[in-house]
Amino acid sequence: MADKKNQVSRRQFLNYTLTGVGGFMGAAMIAPMVGFAVDPLLKGEKDTDYVYVMDVNEITNEPQRKTFQVDQVDGWYESKVDRTAWVYKDENDEILALSPVCTHLGCTVDWNSNQDFPNEFYCPCHDGRYDKNGVNIPGTPPTEPLHSYDFQIQDGKLMLGKAKARKGA
Amino acid sequence: MKYSSKDVVAYSKAKEYIDTAIIPLIPFSFEDEEMSSLSFQKDVIQIYVDQIERELKGRVFVIPEYYYLKQDKIAEEKERLQAFIDHIAKQPFKYIFLVTSDNKWRKVTKDMDIELIWIPGIKDGHLEQAETQQVIKSQVQEIQTLIMDSWNE
Repeated sequence: MADKKNQVSRRQFLNYTLTGVGGFMGAAMIAPMVGFAVDPLLKGEKDTDYVYVMDVNEITNEPQRKTFQVDQVDGWYESKVDRTAWVYKDENDEILALSPVCTHLGCTVDWNSNQDFPNEFYCPCHDGRYDKNGVNIPGTPPTEPLHSYDFQIQDGKLMLGKAKARKGA
Repeated sequence: MKYSSKDVVAYSKAKEYIDTAIIPLIPFSFEDEEMSSLSFQKDVIQIYVDQIERELKGRVFVIPEYYYLKQDKIAEEKERLQAFIDHIAKQPFKYIFLVTSDNKWRKVTKDMDIELIWIPGIKDGHLEQAETQQVIKSQVQEIQTLIMDSWNE
């Protein structure tokens, strides 16, 4: 009798197998579809791309404005975007590539553009100021230094990566 | 700033810093002879506005485009635009700029408390061409200076 209880009837066996196999087939079809749909979101931002900007021997102590193009993946959209960097050597002869985006509200800052504040980065929107190292001057709206680009040097060529926040001030 | 969910968050936190609004005025039509030039004008205006927004993001808010039919009576449009502007001015925006290449606005906006930036229509060309881009870049700079000058007045 005990044996009989545990036995699966032919009908039940067929039911189980059909649900099981059906379930697998369904999953097999839907999983890739979901995968394709959310794929752009999963990829996130590329962190590894470096773009050629200028030759190292052209870098001076005076900041130079350089524009370059990067592929930007922004959720669903992928596009080429212009980026700008202020490239120069600081007093220790170290290369700096600063992002021109004001850390206050995102206007574009300019080097040495205001006669009242020579040799400073100046933001025209709310008079934000940064010294030559891109460090914000206390008492002006920005709360942190200008971001700086990661860079690599390959065969005398300066390659810029992503702009990142720095410590200071 | 733009009217997008990301920028709007930043805007509500920093309202007192963002006192300048730009409204692109964009006519459209489906008349055969006008369609290509009007759509091109729309592209051009959007490039101008995008560039200006990029440079002056922290103080300038680009309002969603004001669209109207090319054949509409400009006098009637004026009323609708005035209501649009009144609403925006309440935010408050101290400086309001209208950007258009439709010269019909010149007369009607004379008595309004705004500044009209008229961009001469570029003839159908290729926006990818280096010369066209050069022209646009230098004009964008001019407009930027104009906006910055009005801040310093």
